[in-house]
Amino acid sequence: MSAPGRLRRFAIRTGAVAAKEATHAVRDPRTLYLALGMPVVLLVIFGFGISFDVEDVPIAVVDQDRTPDSRALERSLTTGHEFVVAARPDDPAEVDRLFRERTVSAALVVPRGFAREWAAGRRAPVQLLVDGSDGVGAQSVLGNASAALRAEGRRRLAAETGGAAAPLAAEVRLLFNPALRSAVFFVPGLIAYILYIVGVLLTALTIAREQERGNLEQLFATPVGRLEVMLGKLLPYLALGLLQALLVLAFGMAVFEMPLRGSLGVLGLGTLLFLAGALAQGLFISSVAGSQQVATQAGALSSLLPGVLLSGFVFPVENMPLLLRALASVFPARYYVDLLRGVMLRGNGFDALWGDFLGLGVFCLAAVALATLGFRRRLA
Amino acid sequence: MTRAGLGAVVRKELRQIGRDRRLLPMLIFAPLVQLMVFGHAVSFDIDNVDVAVCDLDDSAASRTLARRLVADGTFQPVGPLPDCTRPEQALLDGRADVAVLFPAGLERDLAAGRPVEVQVLVDGTNPTIGRFASVAAQAFLDARAAELQRERLAGLRSAQGFERPVPTLTVQSRLFYNPRMQSAIFMVPGVAAMLLLLITTVGTAMGIARERELGTLEQVMVTPLRPAELILGKVAPFVLVGLLDVVVALVVSSWMFDVPIRGSLLVVFAGTLLYLLSTVGLGLFISTVSSSQQQAFMVGFFVMMPAILLSGFMTPVENMPDWLQPIAWVNPVRYYVEVLRGALLKAAGFRDLGLQFGALAAFGTTILAASIVRFRKRLA
Repeated sequence: MSAPGRLRRFAIRTGAVAAKEATHAVRDPRTLYLALGMPVVLLVIFGFGISFDVEDVPIAVVDQDRTPDSRALERSLTTGHEFVVAARPDDPAEVDRLFRERTVSAALVVPRGFAREWAAGRRAPVQLLVDGSDGVGAQSVLGNASAALRAEGRRRLAAETGGAAAPLAAEVRLLFNPALRSAVFFVPGLIAYILYIVGVLLTALTIAREQERGNLEQLFATPVGRLEVMLGKLLPYLALGLLQALLVLAFGMAVFEMPLRGSLGVLGLGTLLFLAGALAQGLFISSVAGSQQVATQAGALSSLLPGVLLSGFVFPVENMPLLLRALASVFPARYYVDLLRGVMLRGNGFDALWGDFLGLGVFCLAAVALATLGFRRRLA
Repeated sequence: MTRAGLGAVVRKELRQIGRDRRLLPMLIFAPLVQLMVFGHAVSFDIDNVDVAVCDLDDSAASRTLARRLVADGTFQPVGPLPDCTRPEQALLDGRADVAVLFPAGLERDLAAGRPVEVQVLVDGTNPTIGRFASVAAQAFLDARAAELQRERLAGLRSAQGFERPVPTLTVQSRLFYNPRMQSAIFMVPGVAAMLLLLITTVGTAMGIARERELGTLEQVMVTPLRPAELILGKVAPFVLVGLLDVVVALVVSSWMFDVPIRGSLLVVFAGTLLYLLSTVGLGLFISTVSSSQQQAFMVGFFVMMPAILLSGFMTPVENMPDWLQPIAWVNPVRYYVEVLRGALLKAAGFRDLGLQFGALAAFGTTILAASIVRFRKRLA
């Protein structure tokens, strides 16, 4: 048989499997709606819901000094929108109870004699107590409050010198995301996370379902090869996935004002590779799982974990221990998050992002190969 | 309801879980591995911000400043800026997170008492790192400015024959419950809540959807078993698995991650039971609105992902916009995370966590009742 003829047959068989799989997907419109609607709804909810910006944090003020000086200190915290005084206990020991009841997240304690110490030119100490059980919040609260108090200290010192300008000042400029909006940083990560999970889930059950119902034996009786089955199953979902990606990216740009500073071609190619990899990962799980229940758990765990944790979406991969960094490099989510941020925020092209393309491409090929091999083992 | 009927269903379910060679490891070991990976991967600690310095003054004063900037380890020097006229380039390439430019004439101006402005460029792509870096740079220069101011003031006063020394405002900050700000200590309770939800909700939903898909549910319904017995029998094994997972999680988190157990275990387990009531109830409800395992899986994910990400385990619930607050109010994951953090870290008791216990109990009974009603209706 000639090579072109073989290729033609390959294409026809793959097409037949793809057509069957597409019919299957279209006949189940509920799953289809979920697959298309879910990513958009999730993106909107998460894009607005996940934010590290803290505002109106309830604090307690324990003012044991009760002087104009101590009140000025309190005002330095509450003039911005960062803090609101929610309690005024007399005793600092009560702060612990307020933390346990979650009434306040921080407390300012101005000890008796604060104004006297300052006037005498000595060290005038104040205490800042922060509830450390909520990590992210605690860190920003601590940072904001100490910055405000430091500024107050500087203002008072300047008043002593007769209002002279600070001898040394910083002019800080933030690049790429000047307003430090959480959304600008998170939306690319969210897009990757959502596409990854939905991609794996779409295909994770396909083969396991056929196996559970005994349809697989019927498929074995046909002349269709394993690679043809795999590609045939992959293609319709890839089309669905691309539609999903388009929707999610469009929403991300419209709702969260995400910029697209780089080229659409780079973004499209990267998205295609990422989706194919995620879908192939689902197929691999499906071909070795044996039952839909196992496939679900395995699919969920293998996409959620790398999607949230090992992708750099929230936690920088560079800070992780070596073993986890190695694990993160295996999964495609990390490369895709990096690629999205590069293309959208910094306007990077192929020259800066070739490493990500390499990672995505290798994963995609390996996943298709593994899925095909895993499928064969079940045949025997 | 007969105890024999209930017992028979529980036994059958346990046997089914035990017989699936892949399912049981999935339910017990997968969470264990996840917890370990999560605990190590998740870190909000920003310990090295890469800084590139451009010293246009190249004087003793500017070199001292540059040395002191990296002295405390917050900033990691990555060498001088390659091109001082285009400092953004280092940020664009990802070579540095921060670029600092000391202007020419810095030493001369400082000596003459003229204000000096130091330019600090910060990569804002990651708002957490961006904010941290700009606050740290600002704090560093503020501290130097205060030092200079104090020196000047002291000089001024001794020249004028003043006796009074220069006062200082000192801020002592203290983090409660997690003084060294270890990320694992506040993340691990959140992760445990997430794993419990994934395993018990998906498990329950899939288990019933599977019987429906295979048509065995009808067979069970012709037996004298009552719907309530069937449901309780179906969910009981997952409650057991969930409790087992909590024990494993507690042991691992206190042994590997030094998560303290300051409160009473009674509070922890009472909270866990109420939470499991909610999670299996949710799974049951999902199974009543889906007709196949794939649908159950999709719907399950659609519900669980927002529940997890908006639970406050990563970002504070209070940061969410008002229109998303209703989701937080009915989110059992949120209350369970608060119970776990409260009981483990803050030694909170039943009285401190009254709201959380009430909310969990209300959610659990409502969702269970609703799904039993729906379940009956679908069978009739």
